[in-house]
Amino acid sequence: MLRVTLANLRAHSGRMVTTALAIVLGVMFVTGTLVFSDTLDDALGAQVKGSAEEYSAIVHTERTTEEKQPELPRQTLDDIESLPEVGSAAGVVHGDAPLIGQEGQAVGSMSTAGLSASEDTRHSTMAEGELPTGPDEAALATSSADVTGFGVGDEVTVLDAEGREHTFTVTGLLDLGVDPELSYRGAVAFTEDTAHAMTGIDGYSEIDVTGAPGYTDSEVRDAVAEVTPGDAEVLTGAELGARLAESAGAETELITTGLMLAGAVSVIVAGIVISNTFAILLAQRQREMALLRCVGAGRGQVLRGVLFEAGLVGLVSSAVGVLAGIGVGYTGVVLGADALGVGDSAASLVVGPAAIAVGLVAGTGATVVAALVPAVRAARIPPLAALRDSAAQGAERGTSTVRVVLGAVLGLASAGIATWAVRSLEDEPALIAVVAAGVVAFAGVVALGPLLVRALVAVARGPMRELGVVSGLAADNSGRSPKRAATAMIALTVGATLITGYSVISDSAEETLTNKLDEQFPVDYEISGQMSPHGFMAEVDPEVSRELAENPDVARVVRVRSSGAELEGPSVSAYFGGEVGTEVSAPVASGDLADLEPGSVVVHEDDAEGNEAGDEIAVETAEGEETFEIAAVTEGNTGLLGVTMDPDDFREHFPDVTQDQSVSIQGTEDVPADELRDTVMAAVADHPRLQVTSAVQMRQEFTEILDTLLLVVTAMLALSVLIAVAGVANTMALSVLERARESAMLRALGLTRGQVRRMLGVEAVVLSLIGTGVGIALGVVFGWAAGVALLDGLILSIPVPRIAGFLTAAVLAGLLASVLPGRRAARTSITRSLASE
Amino acid sequence: MSENSPNDPPDGASPAVITRDLTKVFDAGDSEVRALDSVNVGFTRGRFAAIMGPSGSGKSTLMHCLAGLDSATSGSVRVGETEITGLGDKELTLLRRQRIGFIFQSFNLLPVLTARQNILLPAQIAGREVDQERFDHIVDVVGLRDRLDHTPAKLSGGQQQRVAVARALLSSPDVTFADEPTGNLDSRSGAEVLDFLRDSAREMGQTIVMVTHDPVAAAYADRVVFLRDGRLVDELYEPSAESVLDRIGKLEV
Repeated sequence: MLRVTLANLRAHSGRMVTTALAIVLGVMFVTGTLVFSDTLDDALGAQVKGSAEEYSAIVHTERTTEEKQPELPRQTLDDIESLPEVGSAAGVVHGDAPLIGQEGQAVGSMSTAGLSASEDTRHSTMAEGELPTGPDEAALATSSADVTGFGVGDEVTVLDAEGREHTFTVTGLLDLGVDPELSYRGAVAFTEDTAHAMTGIDGYSEIDVTGAPGYTDSEVRDAVAEVTPGDAEVLTGAELGARLAESAGAETELITTGLMLAGAVSVIVAGIVISNTFAILLAQRQREMALLRCVGAGRGQVLRGVLFEAGLVGLVSSAVGVLAGIGVGYTGVVLGADALGVGDSAASLVVGPAAIAVGLVAGTGATVVAALVPAVRAARIPPLAALRDSAAQGAERGTSTVRVVLGAVLGLASAGIATWAVRSLEDEPALIAVVAAGVVAFAGVVALGPLLVRALVAVARGPMRELGVVSGLAADNSGRSPKRAATAMIALTVGATLITGYSVISDSAEETLTNKLDEQFPVDYEISGQMSPHGFMAEVDPEVSRELAENPDVARVVRVRSSGAELEGPSVSAYFGGEVGTEVSAPVASGDLADLEPGSVVVHEDDAEGNEAGDEIAVETAEGEETFEIAAVTEGNTGLLGVTMDPDDFREHFPDVTQDQSVSIQGTEDVPADELRDTVMAAVADHPRLQVTSAVQMRQEFTEILDTLLLVVTAMLALSVLIAVAGVANTMALSVLERARESAMLRALGLTRGQVRRMLGVEAVVLSLIGTGVGIALGVVFGWAAGVALLDGLILSIPVPRIAGFLTAAVLAGLLASVLPGRRAARTSITRSLASE
Repeated sequence: MSENSPNDPPDGASPAVITRDLTKVFDAGDSEVRALDSVNVGFTRGRFAAIMGPSGSGKSTLMHCLAGLDSATSGSVRVGETEITGLGDKELTLLRRQRIGFIFQSFNLLPVLTARQNILLPAQIAGREVDQERFDHIVDVVGLRDRLDHTPAKLSGGQQQRVAVARALLSSPDVTFADEPTGNLDSRSGAEVLDFLRDSAREMGQTIVMVTHDPVAAAYADRVVFLRDGRLVDELYEPSAESVLDRIGKLEV
C-alpha cells in the first residue's frame, strides 16, 4: 500500500499543488505570527530589561489612580548615597512639563511629562544627539519629536508648573522604549535642577542605584530598602527588568491574539480547500480504489493509504510553510519595528520550538482531518466499481430533504440566538452570542450549500443564456457539481463574511458617532483644558468664552461646568448658554429633555437607579444630597452622561465651580471656515494649555482610526480569501481534467480557444460571486447584529462602495482562479482528448 | 491496386474535401511513425463515403486532418475551395464551426443540456439563426420529437447518437465526419443511425465521411476507401458487406 501511495503522489503531484499551497499559506501565517510575536517580545523585553538591569537596585513609588504620585524626598537620596553598599545613586524627577507645539498650544490632550535625565538615570538612551547638560537645554522623547516635528537644535517652549513659558534648545532625542505612559504623553527631559524647577516637584519618583564593588544586587537592594520610606518599593534591576518585560509582553499580546485568530481562520479555510481537493481526487480515482479492493486490499488499507497520503502532503507542505513563516515573521518584525516601538534595537530572530511545532501540527493535522471524510468515502467504494463504467460525472444526488431541514433548523436557531443577543444582552456576552449565532448560521449555509448553489445558478442561468452560448455553458457547468461548488464557495464565504461583517460594524460605528456628533452637539470647535495624569483637568478661563461670545463670527458659545471627581456618585454637569433638548441633545429613554428646569434633572440610564421620568432621585451635590424630579432619562454612549442640571441649580449647589470644563463654539452660518478658526485661535492665544479641537478634525481622527483598523483586519483576513481562491482554482482545474473530452468536443464544434477560456472564466466568476455574495449577506446581517449589541442606537450603514469593491475583487479572483485551468483546457489537443476513452 | 484518384468523378461533381500528398508523421520518441503517407483522395459532394482499414492504418488521423482537427506534416487538404493546411487555430475553428459537422463514437453530448439544446449548440456557438423548418424536419427524420427536453442521461445510446446526428446535420455543413458512429450501439440502433446517414446524403444532399471498421456499416456507404499503413490501397463503389469483407480479406493477405 505504501508503494501505491507514494506512486500516486508522484503521478499526481501536479494535482496536489494547490492543496500544498493552501497548507503552506495557512501554516506560514500561523508560524509567522508566532515567530513575529516571540521576536517582538524578546526585542521589547531585551530593551526594557536592558534599561533596568544595569542598576543594582531601583526605588520607585507606585501611583494609584486617584492620588498624585508620592514623592521620594531628597533626604532619601542622600541616605542611599551614604550607604557603604552604594556606589552611586541618581533620582528621577517625573512631573508635568506641557510642551508647546508649533501652533502655539500645548501638545496633546494630556500634558507632556517632564523628566530628569542624566548618565546615571534609567532613561538615558539617546536616539539622536546628547543629554541636556545646561539649564537652557532639554531633550525630547522621540514620540514628542514625531508629534510636534521638533528636532535637535530647535528651540522649544515648555510651561512650568505656574504656567510660565520657558525656552530650551533641544540637544537630543530620548528613546523611552515602550513605557506606555510616556509613549502616550511624550516627555521633555531636563537636567535634574531644571526638572525640579519646571515641574515644581521637589522629590523623586524613582531612584536608580548602582552598587559599590563587592556587593551583590540583593545586598544593595536590602540595604537601600532599610533607608527608604514605607510606601516605596525597592527592586533589583533584574527584578524590575523582568516585570517590565512581562508588561511589555502583555502589550504585544493583543496583536498576537488578533493575528492568531486570523491564522486560525486561514487554517480552517485551508482545511475546507484540502477536503474538497481530496474529495474530487478520490472521486476521480474511484476505479483505481476499486481495483485495489479487487486485488485484495482491505477497507482499512485503503483508508490508511489515503490518510497516509494526506499526512505526507500535509507534513511536507507544513514544513515549507514553517520555513516561509519564519521568513514572514522576521520580515514583519523588521518592517514593523518602528511602529511597534522596538526602535532601532536590533531584533534578533527568535524561533521557539513552539512556533515550529504548532505550525507542523496545525498544518498536518488540518490536512489529515480534512481528508478524513473523503478517505472514509473512498474506503467504502465496492470492488465491483472497478468493473463498471466510470461513474457518471456530476450525478450528485444529495439527500436534499435532510439538508433543507438541517439548514432551516440551524437558520432558525441562529435567528433566535441573534434576536436574543440583540434584545436582551449587552456588551461582551451579546457579542459572543452574536458570533455564536453567526457560526450556527454558517453551519446552516454549509448544510444548504449545494442547494443554494443549485438555486442561485438556476436563477442566473436564464439571463446568462441570453448573453450568449459561452456564458450559458458556463452557467450550466457551474451548477453541475453543486457539492463541489458549494465547498469551494464556502471557503470563500468564510473570509467574505468576516471582512464584510467587520466593514459593516466599522461603517455603522462611524456613521452613528459622526451622526450623533452632528445631531447632539452641533459645534465647530471645542475648547478644553489639558489633562494631567492625575485626573486633574485644567479649566477654561471664563475670559476666553466671554471674548468669543462677543465676536460677531460666533453664533453660540455653550459652556459646560462639571462637579469634580471628588464627589461620590455620578458627576453633575450644567450647560450654560445652550438649551438642553434643542442645542444640546441626546437619545432619550423616557421623558423629554426640554422639561429640564430648576428643580429637575436629566439622568443617564446607568445612573438612574431604575427610575424613569417623573420619579424623584437623590443627587450628591457640594451642599449635600438633594432630591430632584427626573425630567428625562438618557441612553447611549454619547450625548448627556451622568446628571445634567439646570444652570441656576448648578450655581446654587456647586458654588465653588466657577470655571468651565469645556466650551463649544458654533460659528455663524456665513463665516468662512478659516476666519472662524483664526477667531478661535486668537481667543486662546494667551492660554497655551487650552486644547482646541475642531469637529472636522475630531471626525477625521475618528474616521482614520476606524479606517486603519479596518485595513489591518482586512489585510489579516485577506490571506484566507487568497487560500479560498486557490481552492476555486483547484476545483476548476480538476473539473477541467474531468471534462477534457467535453472541451475537445466543443472545440471540434467550433468553440475557439478564447471561448473555452472565457467559459471557464465565467464559471469561476459565478462560483466566486456566489461565495462572496453569500458571505456579504451573512456579513451584513451579523455585522449589524454585533454592532447593535456593542453600541446602543446603532445606525446601520452598509458600506456600499466597499461592498461593490468586494464584488469586483470576487470577479477578479474568479478570473485569476480560471487562468491556469483555462490555459490547460484551451491547449489540450482535441484529437488526443477525443481519442482517450 | 489501382492508382489513387484525387478526383473521384463518376458523375463529374466537384469534391467537398480533397487531399494532395497528405502526409502526417508522428514523433514517437526516438522513432517516427508515418500515420499518413502521401494520401490523395477526394470525397464527392452529396455522397456517403466510408474509410476503412485495420487498427493503426491511419483512418482516424486522416479524418482528423480532413476535419481540421489535426495539422498535416506535408501535402494539402482542401475543404470546398478552401486550402486548410497552414490555417491558424482561429481560422480552423471558424471553418469547423461554419462548414463541418461531427458525429462521434461516444456521442459526446453535453450532459447538462437537453437534447434540443445539444442539437442547437453548434448554431449557437456560430451565432447562426436556426431554420425552424429544417430543425423540425431533422428532428422528425431522426424521430426525437418527444425526447427533445430530456437530458442525455435519460436517453438510450441510439437516441443519444440520433441527437448527435441531428446536431451535425442541422446546419447543413459542407461535410460531416462520423467517427465509428455505431461503435457503441447495438446492431438495431446502429442500423437506424446508418439509415439516417445514408438518407441524409441521398435526400438532403449531405456529404458524409465515415470512419469505421465494421463491414456492415461500410456497406451503407456509396463508396469505401481502404487504408493500410497510412496509404490509400483500394476503393470500392456501391459496396455490400460481402464485397467489403472480401476486399479486407485480400488486404490482410
